[in-house]
This record gives sequence, structure tokens and C-alpha cells, in this order.
Amino acid sequence: MEKTTNCKSPRTYRIVGPQRQIDERETPHFRARRGELGERIKVLRQPQIEQDAFKRAISDGKMKGDMHNSLQQLFLQMPQGAVSPERLPVSDPVAMSQKIKEAARFYGADVVGITYLDQAYVYSHRGRGCSADGEKPGDPIDLPHKYAICLGFADDFDRYMTCNSEISGLEYQMGTKRTLIPTFLLATYIREMGYPARSHAHSRLEVNTVALAVTAGLGELGRHGMLIHEEYGSRLHLAVVTTDLPLAVDEPVDIGVEDVCKICMKCAQTCPTYSIPFGDKVIVNGVEKWAINVDTCYKGKLSARGKYTNCLTCITSCCYHKRSSWWHTLAGRLLKKIPIPLRPAYIKPLLWMDDFIWGKKPRRRMQWMGYDNAPSPVACNIPGCIAKHKPQELKPLHEIPQPKRQYSFNTSVTEKGGARP
Amino acid sequence: MTHVITAACIGAKHKELSCTEVCPMNCIHGTATDAILYIDPEDCIDCGACVPACPREAIFPAGDIPEKWQDFQQINADYFKDKR
Repeated sequence: MEKTTNCKSPRTYRIVGPQRQIDERETPHFRARRGELGERIKVLRQPQIEQDAFKRAISDGKMKGDMHNSLQQLFLQMPQGAVSPERLPVSDPVAMSQKIKEAARFYGADVVGITYLDQAYVYSHRGRGCSADGEKPGDPIDLPHKYAICLGFADDFDRYMTCNSEISGLEYQMGTKRTLIPTFLLATYIREMGYPARSHAHSRLEVNTVALAVTAGLGELGRHGMLIHEEYGSRLHLAVVTTDLPLAVDEPVDIGVEDVCKICMKCAQTCPTYSIPFGDKVIVNGVEKWAINVDTCYKGKLSARGKYTNCLTCITSCCYHKRSSWWHTLAGRLLKKIPIPLRPAYIKPLLWMDDFIWGKKPRRRMQWMGYDNAPSPVACNIPGCIAKHKPQELKPLHEIPQPKRQYSFNTSVTEKGGARP
Repeated sequence: MTHVITAACIGAKHKELSCTEVCPMNCIHGTATDAILYIDPEDCIDCGACVPACPREAIFPAGDIPEKWQDFQQINADYFKDKR
């Protein structure tokens, strides 16, 4: 599929060829459920009753009793409302954009951006559907809307810092739920103005939220395959409202992620499953970007031995993941002001300070609501096993691969590879 | 695709166990009476972290096993039958 909009290209990914629309059923959740990532992860993904009532309250429908106790299940089955027959004329799309952004913040979004809806980022077929809307899994998706309003919801910094634990897992789950109501309200507001709109939030998405958020200027694409926002790092949950309401679009931003990710590599060093590349960008589906191994990232859940948690290690190790503070804001703003060729000289000392102050593998101990993220022994169900199993947080950091030196006849040295410059 | 522990591990596992320390999936197992350690092919993510950790150079990707140790791929897989 050719690019369907004329958005300016972001620095962190480049369209280099035709893009194929992705079928939602090709994404890891669906593949895992079908058993394509192995039998054990399939069993883990099957609905199981959560033993902990606090987790059940925000879980994805793993209820003991009535499924109406699950917010996600309610939203999954909620039909999209009809468009009001009275259409409000829009003479000034810029003013309307400001109004929509203010409304989105009022409903609960932390960051908002608007872009054209590029059809390359619309799924070709749906993975699940809302029966109340007559949808079923496998249906082709027809989403002709012109604009995508991208919303970001920031999760709690401290609870994320307990990464790969029940606490960070609960914060992540709660983050997915935070997207539901504001997105629903924003789509409703637009439909009430007489324009078609559809909300795309947790578990009910027809679009690739990360790609749209980058083009909408919410941040840039990091080495770890996620959006990096200059204030919130990657602890943003993303949602989208697509619409035909006339709006003014934002442009992709340059906040220096391209320059930082080339040097930093902290996420690649800390990723428990070696899923984040140390090397250069590669071309995937017509897009040149750093490509993570989604299969191994997903299978990493198995290492938790039945405690279904979200890893989040790459998010917390990212140097952009900081509590909101004047020095963090100042460092980010200065980086944007510096000409691109001079940025490495500014970034390297900052990364040294980041390692020194926050650690090479940032993680904090927390006791909260009866949960404790202290490292616990790894359960092994092989009787008499003598292996030295360790929890993820005690595993060593991965070494950055050193470049191979290639000597030519005139003895000059050339370096090529993914090592820290 | 998975990694496989071969005959070069025989006699070494009780001293070293270094591969089990670095395996991110904790999928290398073995008991005191087993001849070698074994990699569970269902859990292995093929990251290769165990390869440089092994002082005996006994671990190979499944597609790169020396001819004489080809049967160890099946031996590793069979070890976990009825154990999980």
C-alpha cells in the first residue's frame, strides 16, 4: 500500500517502500492465543480466574462471578453511538483542533496530538469484534476517516520503577483502563457535533497507535519500538479517536530520540530476553526502523513462572523515564536546541550521569497494597534440579557487542557495527 | 529453533552451571544424576546467552550442531517429556 497522506516524515523511522496493512490477528496476543508462540504461552493466555480480588477488579475479564464486573468486557461489548443528525459547521479547523485538545485533556488525557489517518496504519482485519455493532473476528476493516486524534495517558513513575513485578503489572493494567473513558467521551463529543468518530482504546483497536502518535508529534520512536515522549518517556498508554471532523494536523517532532538511542542502548542492555537490537535500523514492511523481536519479548512472560506480569524493563531503563522535574525538562529542551551534529557531545555526559545517579539497570523496591517486589526465588518444577535459576532482576547486564575491526591493505581501520560510538 | 546442549557437557555440569545463571528464561535444567544439563525447547527463546557462558563450548544452535552430536537435539527435547 502506498502512503495515503502527506505527513512530514519523522526522524526515527523512514518510509522506504510500500507498506502492507497488518491483520490484527497477526499481532502477538492473537498469535499467542492460537498457540503459535508455544503451548505454554497459549495456556498462560487462556482466561483463568485470577485468585486475587484486587487484581480481578482491573483484570481482563478473569472474574470469579459476573463478567459485568470487568470494565474491559463492558467496553468491548459497548456499541459505537450514532452520529447526531445536526452537524455543527466548522469554519476554523485550527480553533477546532485547540478545542478538541482541551476537551481531551479535560477528559483525562495527558498529551494530545492530531495527524492524518494513514491507511497503512489501519489494520486490514479485526481480531475481535463487538457483537452489538455486528462485528466478528476476521471481518475486514473499513475505516475511511481522515484524521486521527492521538491521546497519551501517563502511568505512575514510581510503580513502573518496580518493573517486572506484580506492582508494575497492576499499574500497567490500570493504565490500559485509563484510556477507555476519555476516548469514549471524546468520540461521543464529536459524534454529538454531527461528525462520524470512532474510539480506539485498549483491546478494541483498528489502528496502530504508536505509528500514528509519532506522526502526530507526541514523541519519537525509540530503539525499544515504543513511543518516547520528552517528559514521560515511554510510560504513556496510547489511544486514538478517528474522525472526519475538520481539524488542523500537527507535525512530527525532533526531540533528539534518534541521537540518544544511537548512543544509549540501555534498553538493549537490560532487556531480559535480548529482544532489543544493538545494531542499526532495518527495513520491516517498508519502514526503516529499529526492529525488536516481538516473539521473544512476548515469551519472556513465561520466565515469571505463572506470575503473569508485564516486564516494562526497557521503559524504566530508558533515560527519558524520569519523574517530572525542572532538570529533566531543561535537559530535554536544551537537547532540542542543539544542532544535530553537536548532539552526541551533549548526550554522552548526560548518559554517564544517568548511569551514575539512576543506575545501569534502574529498579526500586516497593511494598504496596500487600505486594512486595523484592526478588523471589524462581520456582522450578523439575524435581532435584541443580540449575542456578535466578529472577530476572538479578541477571547480569548484556554486554554491548564490540565492533569487529577490519584491516585493509593500507592499514587504515574501519569500524562497522552496533557498538556505542 | 532452539539451542541444544551436547556431549561436551558430560562431566562438567556439576562444577560450572554458568549457563543456567545467564539463561533469561531459566530453561536449562538437570539433576545431580543426569549426564548433562538440558535446554527445554518449549521455553528457549534462542537468544544465545548460554553459548559464550559455557566453558566447554557444548552449546549450539539447533541448525548448527556438529554432525556427531545431531541426536542431542532429540535427547534435550525428550528429557522434558512427562516432566512438565
